[in-house]
Amino acid sequence: MIKLHDVSKSYATPAGSFTALRKLDLEIQPGELVAVVGKSGSGKSTLLNMLGGIDTPSTGTVTIANTQLRVLGENKLAAWRGRNIGFVFQFFQLLPALTAAENVMLPMDFCRSVAPRERRKRAIALLERFGVGAQADKLPAALSGGEQQRVAIARALANEPPVVLADEPTGNLDSGNANAVLDLFRDMASNGTTVVIATHDRDVARVIDRTIELADGTVTR
Amino acid sequence: MKAIVSFAIAIGIAAFATVLASYAILTRELNQGYLATNPASATLRTDAIDDALLAAVAKTSGVRDVEAARVVSGRIKGGANGWRNLVLFVVKDFASVRVGKINPEGGAWPPATGEILIERDAFQVARVKLGDVVTVRTANGPERRVRVSGRVHDVGQAQARMENMVYAYATLATLEQLGERPYFDQLKIVADSMDKSRIERVAGDVTKVVESRGHKVVHTDIPPPGKHPHADIMGLLMLMLAAFGLFVMLLSGAIVVNLLTAIMAAQIRQIGVMKAIGGTRWQIARIYFAQALRLGAFAIVIAIPLGIWGSRMLCRAMAVFLNFDITSFAIPAWVFACVVFVGLVIPLLAAAWPVWKGSGVSVREALCDFGISETSFGVSALDRMLAGVSGVARPILLAIRNNFRRRARLVLTVLTLAAGGVFFMTALNVRASMIHTLDRLFGTRKYDLGVSLRADSDAGTVTRIVRGVPNVKYVEAWRISGDPYAVIAVPPSTRLLAPGVIRGRWLQPGDVDAMVINSALAAKKMPLAHVVGVVREPFAPASAYVPLRGSVTNSLRVVLANNDAASIDRAKGLIEEALAREGIRAGSISSKSDSRFGFDQHMVMIYVALIIMSALIAIVGGLGLMTTLSINVLERRRELGVLRAIGATPRTIALMLACEGVVVGVLSWLLASVAAWPLSRLVGNGLLMMVLRSGLDFDFELRGVAIWLVVCVLLGAIASVVPSWHASRQQVREALGYE
Repeated sequence: MIKLHDVSKSYATPAGSFTALRKLDLEIQPGELVAVVGKSGSGKSTLLNMLGGIDTPSTGTVTIANTQLRVLGENKLAAWRGRNIGFVFQFFQLLPALTAAENVMLPMDFCRSVAPRERRKRAIALLERFGVGAQADKLPAALSGGEQQRVAIARALANEPPVVLADEPTGNLDSGNANAVLDLFRDMASNGTTVVIATHDRDVARVIDRTIELADGTVTR
Repeated sequence: MKAIVSFAIAIGIAAFATVLASYAILTRELNQGYLATNPASATLRTDAIDDALLAAVAKTSGVRDVEAARVVSGRIKGGANGWRNLVLFVVKDFASVRVGKINPEGGAWPPATGEILIERDAFQVARVKLGDVVTVRTANGPERRVRVSGRVHDVGQAQARMENMVYAYATLATLEQLGERPYFDQLKIVADSMDKSRIERVAGDVTKVVESRGHKVVHTDIPPPGKHPHADIMGLLMLMLAAFGLFVMLLSGAIVVNLLTAIMAAQIRQIGVMKAIGGTRWQIARIYFAQALRLGAFAIVIAIPLGIWGSRMLCRAMAVFLNFDITSFAIPAWVFACVVFVGLVIPLLAAAWPVWKGSGVSVREALCDFGISETSFGVSALDRMLAGVSGVARPILLAIRNNFRRRARLVLTVLTLAAGGVFFMTALNVRASMIHTLDRLFGTRKYDLGVSLRADSDAGTVTRIVRGVPNVKYVEAWRISGDPYAVIAVPPSTRLLAPGVIRGRWLQPGDVDAMVINSALAAKKMPLAHVVGVVREPFAPASAYVPLRGSVTNSLRVVLANNDAASIDRAKGLIEEALAREGIRAGSISSKSDSRFGFDQHMVMIYVALIIMSALIAIVGGLGLMTTLSINVLERRRELGVLRAIGATPRTIALMLACEGVVVGVLSWLLASVAAWPLSRLVGNGLLMMVLRSGLDFDFELRGVAIWLVVCVLLGAIASVVPSWHASRQQVREALGYE
C-alpha cells in the first residue's frame, strides 16, 4: 500500500521558494489503477517523484509497502527502486545503445532479481506479452513510438515491481497506440500491480479505478 | 570541464613555450659562452714552435691573435681506480690564456709544476677529487704521480662523461716532468673574420710563414666558425622538441574541437532562438569564438609560468650536456609574443569547424531539435554490428556501445591518447633497438681488450708477451693505419671479428689484395680498388679491412678467460706492465665496455627525452579523455537519470563510466600498438641519424605494449573519476528533467 502523510515539497528557485506539494495526505491500495491529473505545474510529476523515491519531501512521510523512503540512503534507495517501482516515461527513455531485450534485462542486472540465465527468457516473455517479441533484438532507433513505449512498459515490469509509475505514458503516442498502452496498464492492475499514471489524457478515464486531481500542489478531488 | 580543457591547452602551450624559450636562451648563451672563450679559427699542427715563429705568425695578415699549445694523449689513474683515457692540454701561460680560454672554478690557478687541473665534468670520469694524487702516463713518458690541484671549465670541450674522457691542463714544466719533451706543436690562430673562406686563406698564409721558416705543417683544422662543436646537434634536438611542442598543441586543439562541438550541440535551441530574433550566423559564431579565445587566454596564463620553469629545466639539462654555463635565463619578448599568438590561434582554429557548422543550423532545425541525448544510435551498420556484440555484462556492453555514439569525438580522443602511446613505445623501442644494435656491433668483436701500441713492434714478440699474462686466453696481432679512413689489417682467418656481411664476402685465407669495407666507408662512395665485400658496422668510423701481411703489428686483440669488470681492469694493468718490461709501450688499452660507454650516454639522453614527451602527451590525452567523459555525462544526463530510476546505484554508474574510459584507453592502446611499429622505426632511425649518424637494427619492445596497456587502463579509469563524481551528485529528478 502507498501512503503519503502530510507531504509538502518546496524548491528554492532564483525567483524565491516554490511549493510544488502542500500537506498532501494520500493512500493508494494494492492493485489500484490511479490517474493523477491536473494542469502543468500542479504537482503531478513531483508527486510521482515522491512515490518513486526520486525526490524526497521537504516535510511529511512517504511509505510504500511498509518502507519509509526517507530512511533509505542513496544506494539502498536505488536498489529498492529497482525492485519495487517500475517507471514508464513520456518519451520512452529507452537506452539507445541497447536492444529492446537488453533494455528489459538491464533492471534485472542491476537488482539481480532474476538468475542471469533466466533474464533473456524473461525479457522475451515480457516483450511477447506486450506484442513486441519480434523486435527483441532491434535497437530502439529501429522501433516505432508505440513499440518503444511497449518495450518501456516491459522494462518497467522486469523485476515484477508491486508499483508502476507512468508519467504521461501516452503523451507521445497516436490514439491507437495510446489506447493499447492504457489497456496494458489495466491488465497490470488487474493482475495486482498498483499503477499510478500522471496524465492529461482524457481517454484514461475508461481504464482507471480512481482519479486524483491536483491543483497548486493540493488534492482537489 | 572548461577548466580541464584549458589545462590541456596550457600543457600544449607550455611545452611549446618551453622549447621556444629554451631555443632562444641556448642559442644566445651557447654562442656567447663559446665566443667569450675566443675560440681558435684554425689550429695548425707543426713541430716545435719557438717565440720567433710565434711572432712571425702574429704579424701575418688576417691573424688577430695566436697562441702556441700542445695536446698530449695518455692515461690517468686515481687511487684504486682503473686507467682512464686522458687528453692533456699544455698551456704556455695560465695567467694570460687568450685563445680558447678556460675558466678556473676552484683550487689552484695556475697549477704549479707537478700539478694538473681537471675539467669540471671530467672529475666524475677520473673518479678523483681536488687534492688527490694521481698517476699519469703520457705517450712517451713513464708513469708519474701528479697532484690534482684545481678545477676548470673548458667550454670548448664536449661533456667528459659523454666522451668517457678526462681533460686535464698543465704547464710545459709539468709535461717535461711527465717524461715528454717540452715544446709546443700547435698554433691556435684567431682570424680577423668569421668567414670560412677568409679563415682558410689566413690559415694558408700562416702555413707559408711556418714553412718558410723551415717548419712543416702536418695538419690544419678549421672548425665551423664561431660555432660550438655541439651547436648543430643542439639545433637538431631543439627542432625535434619544437615539433613535439607543436604536436602537443595540436592534440590539445583536438580537445577544443570536442568541447566546442558538444557546446554547440547542447545550445542548438538557444542558437535557433537567437536566429529567430534576428541574430546572424557571424554574430552567433562570434559568441562561441569568444569562448574559444577565453579558453586560450586562460591557458596562456597557466602556460607562461610553466613554460618559463620548463625552459630553465631544459636549458640546465642542455647546458650540462653541452658543458657550458648559462649566465642569464632572460627570455626575449618575441618568444612571449609567439606563445600568446599560438595560444590564441590554436583554440580558434580548433573551434572554427564546430562553431561555423553549429551556427549555420536553420531556425527550424534548431527549434525542432529534441536535445542532445536523442542520438540516433542504431542507424548505421557499425551500430548494428555493435548491437550484435554480447557475452559481457550489460553495463559493460552499454559502456562499449556508448563510446561509439559520438564517433568523431571518440576518434579524436583515441588519437590523442594513442599519440602518447606511440611516443612511449617509441622510446622503449628506440632504447631496445639501440641496445640490440650495439649488442650486435660489439657481438661481432669477439675479444675483451684492444691494445694499441705506441710504435710498430714484432707481432710474434708482443703476442708471446701478452699470451704470458695471467687470465689471457688468446691474442691476435693486427695493424691499424690510414687516413682519411682506417685501414685495419687482420689475419684473414681471424677468430676475433665476425662482422655482418651486407654485400660480397668477408676476407678469406689466401686473400692478398682483397679489401672489405664497412658501411660508413661505403657511404662515402670513394673510388676503392679490390673491394670484395661490405660489412655493416653501425656507429663505427669509415674503415677498411685488409689481410695482414708481414710480422709488424701496432694493435692487439685479447681474449680473457675471465671477463668480469675486475678481471678486465686487472688484465689491463698486467698487460701494460708485461709489455713495458720488454720495452714496448702500450698507447691505450680499452675494453668493449669502455668503447660502449659513450654510446650508452647518448642513448640515455634520447630515451629520457622520449619518455618525458610521452608523459606530457599522456597527460594531455588523459585530460582529453576526461573532457570526453565529462561531455558524455553531460549529454547523457537524462539517460543516467533513467538508469538511476530503474535501479542503478551511483557505484554502478561510476563503474560504467570507468568502463567507458577504459574502453577508450584500450582502443587507443590498440591503435598505438599498431602504429608504434612503423613510427618508432622511423623516429628511431631519424633520431639516431641526427645524433649518432647511424641507423638502427630495429627491435620491438613487447614490454612497452604491455606497460602501455596498463597505463591506458589506469588513465581510462582515473579520467572517469571526475565525471563519475559529477554524475553521482546529480539528482535523479533533475537528470530526468534535463534536455
